[in-house]
Amino acid sequence: MCQTSAGTHLGFAWGPGDILVYETLYKASGCPCIHEVRKDEDIYSPILRKLFNESHHIFVGLQTIGEDLPSKNKKPQFVSISKNYRSVIRACMEELQQVSILLAIELIWNLCEVLFIDAAPAGSLLLHLLDWVRLHKADVDEKAREVLQSESPAEHHDYWNVVVSYVLQGRLEEARQMLVKQATLQPAARSMYKLMDTLLSKMPFYNPGGTQTLTEFDVKWRHWHEEVDRCLQDNSFASNKHLEVICKILVGDEDTLLEHKDLLSTWYHFLVTRLLFCHPTVKPTELHYYAQSCLTMFLDSRSVPEPLDSILLAAFEFDIHQVIKDCSIALNNWWFVAHLTDLLDHCKLLQSHNLHFGSNLREFLLLEYASGLFTHHSLWQLAVDYFDHCPEFGRVYLELQIERVPLDTERKALKVLRICEQRQMSEQVRSICKIMAMRALRNNRLGSALSWSIRAKDAAFATLISEKFLQDYCARGTFSDLDLIDNLGPAMLLSDRLTFLGKYREFHKLYGEKRSGEAAKLLLSLMTAKIAPRSFWMTLLTDALPLLEQKEVVHLSFQDEDTELTKVELLRLALARNLARAIVKEGTVEA
Amino acid sequence: MVSVINTVDTSHEDMIHDAQMDYYGTRLATCSSDRTVKIFDVRNGGQILVADLRGHEGPVWQVAWAHPMFGNILASCSYDRKVIIWKEDNGSWDKMYEYTGHESSVNSVCWGPYEFGLILACGSSDGAISLLTFTGDQQWDVKKISNAHTIGCNAVSWAPAVVPGSLIDQPSGQKPNYVKRFVSGGCDNLVKLWKEEDGQWKEDQKLEAHSDWVRDVGWAPSIGLPTSTIASCSQDGRVFIWTCDDPAGNTWTPELLHKFNDVVWHVSWSITGNILAVSGGDNKVTLWKESMDGRWACISDVSKGQGAVSTITDTQQTEQ
Repeated sequence: MCQTSAGTHLGFAWGPGDILVYETLYKASGCPCIHEVRKDEDIYSPILRKLFNESHHIFVGLQTIGEDLPSKNKKPQFVSISKNYRSVIRACMEELQQVSILLAIELIWNLCEVLFIDAAPAGSLLLHLLDWVRLHKADVDEKAREVLQSESPAEHHDYWNVVVSYVLQGRLEEARQMLVKQATLQPAARSMYKLMDTLLSKMPFYNPGGTQTLTEFDVKWRHWHEEVDRCLQDNSFASNKHLEVICKILVGDEDTLLEHKDLLSTWYHFLVTRLLFCHPTVKPTELHYYAQSCLTMFLDSRSVPEPLDSILLAAFEFDIHQVIKDCSIALNNWWFVAHLTDLLDHCKLLQSHNLHFGSNLREFLLLEYASGLFTHHSLWQLAVDYFDHCPEFGRVYLELQIERVPLDTERKALKVLRICEQRQMSEQVRSICKIMAMRALRNNRLGSALSWSIRAKDAAFATLISEKFLQDYCARGTFSDLDLIDNLGPAMLLSDRLTFLGKYREFHKLYGEKRSGEAAKLLLSLMTAKIAPRSFWMTLLTDALPLLEQKEVVHLSFQDEDTELTKVELLRLALARNLARAIVKEGTVEA
Repeated sequence: MVSVINTVDTSHEDMIHDAQMDYYGTRLATCSSDRTVKIFDVRNGGQILVADLRGHEGPVWQVAWAHPMFGNILASCSYDRKVIIWKEDNGSWDKMYEYTGHESSVNSVCWGPYEFGLILACGSSDGAISLLTFTGDQQWDVKKISNAHTIGCNAVSWAPAVVPGSLIDQPSGQKPNYVKRFVSGGCDNLVKLWKEEDGQWKEDQKLEAHSDWVRDVGWAPSIGLPTSTIASCSQDGRVFIWTCDDPAGNTWTPELLHKFNDVVWHVSWSITGNILAVSGGDNKVTLWKESMDGRWACISDVSKGQGAVSTITDTQQTEQ
């Protein structure tokens, strides 16, 4: 309809998958262009493809973990699977130069593993968190290497930064080794360094596998803490500001910790360090209080929390749904939330969060992820497995999507077909076979068209193609694709015309093998069984001619029909001859 | 959020009214006020003009691709009152059939589900809707619904072939329950549902909610649930979502998606039917999705290439 309004109109159409097409209104000054637009999903990045492929493998393995085991026995398996996912992420990080998003993903996943999947209790919790921080703060080792490789490490400008960083991460053994170098340079301060070394060596660390209970550890730790505090009060380290700083850190002084923001670099490092030196027996339920206050203390009044911060905070609050939600919004594709949610669901950590259309959160995310994969020319095959494990809508989504996979080659069509056949998607099978049959027909590949229509169980199409074969025969006198027709087997019964084609070819074979008796019988049955198309009767009668010329008397009888005059004459002649021969033969026998 | 990956210069000499990707996203068909229909091969980011089809004598309003199992077939409709069906044979496109049974501009064409063969619905400004069915051997059977909408019919859209919900509790292998239905929108401000019974087309439902001409209608693809969903948009700036939960298809409940400040021209559903695209006179396309509590939320707002995420309703922001 004519647009009479002054407003402009942006046209739009969905392509298969997510490719959108925009039209623009074209005024005399413009250009009549159509823009193909695509969502900024990273599936088109070649490196992420590795991530998708390998995680697909892990995903499928996870789905098949035995249902018979109770959940708690499966925990080690789930933790192991979580670590597998993470190692795939890390492997990709090594290949990608721009790693920030993968780093963030791995950071979040790791924390989720610690808090939700491994669900470490008080005592172990802090140790896991310490590991977590150490894993994601690798620059300390780099700096340490640099310092140690220098001529005089103890005089390197970064020396104390390294020592303090080690302490902040609870790597006291390494801190002690570094301090030895300083101690040798300052023999006068030997006793002070000895004291510090003793303090560092005596700090208790909880041993989850040991015989000591958490309470016993707590008592021991408090004693040590008091000892360190005494040293501080006694000004034991007053003459060395660096050692004094370390002592303050060991006692958990917040202000001192905050003075080293640049070494901590993140609020969650600050959090873990603070817990290490103030409250190593922290319980999971207490985490969120410390997390919130650390975030606030660490960020100065001007800076605003970033999405990553909110996500980590939600994790510390054990709000799994919030973590998933925030990640869904912040990240550019569904890979992370889909796989993590699936794993958490297997751990029975997600309450069923029923969405309006009846699916749960896990399925919703997997469907989104897999649908995204379907637009890719090779990754779509991975998506099939994901749909398979979505019990509610997976099948129908697969049915809708798989029809859109371009059937560029016969091989690809067979691949798609196999997938549909394995899942008894009979409508899709039929549809694909019909498409391939039509395409073959258009390219005049009758044999291929016939076999596709047989596979589609499409009687109408099989009839059409059989007609073409027969027309071909009439025109050229020979059959094409003999192999196919000879080996039709029970498929011959799909349509009358096809049956006729098969039998007719059989007639020709018999005739060629000089089995004239059988050939004649078959020909007769073809004519009388009424499966021969009317248009073909002339041809059949013409085929009968040579049989009539045979020395052996072959009795044939057929109905009278409207046929071309000359051919009728020939037939009459042949019949007359045959009759004559028969009379002669009979006469001869009698005589 | 979205990026342009390819720009096709159609070289149309006047306004483009419709562009449609084929089933696999390999071909693009466009039509224009310059009376031509063009087909481009857009594989691998390319744009090769495959055909420049001339046959219409007025602006061409819409094009529609048939299912690939019937070959490469495209329908077009025009102000010149004609519907032309084009077919590709041996690499060249020709007219397969020309229908001139309407007395006024034909505004919309839509192919039916492939389960029913090749069947095309056409809506016209003469108020009638024609159903053209290919019966083989270059023959087309024509059924006409006269006075479907007074003043004119602007849009037609087919329902999925299978009765909703029939896939649940259906043993696989059994033939599903088919129903031939489509929805139309017209200048009488009405949305109408039509059903074929005993070979005759009958008006099945009359949905009233718009206060001005209905510009477009779209029947959402089925995902196996026993719910049918239709979207309609109008000159009155409103977009309604109609849902029917009973399998008999008798009670349709409208929900206002949004009231826009300008005419809304088009609504279209994504392939799995979970996202609705709405394009209006404000030169924007918005994408809508049903959220957890059953309300519809806008998930993106795209104006000519820039992307932004915004919510218009008060409900929680859904996942991206």
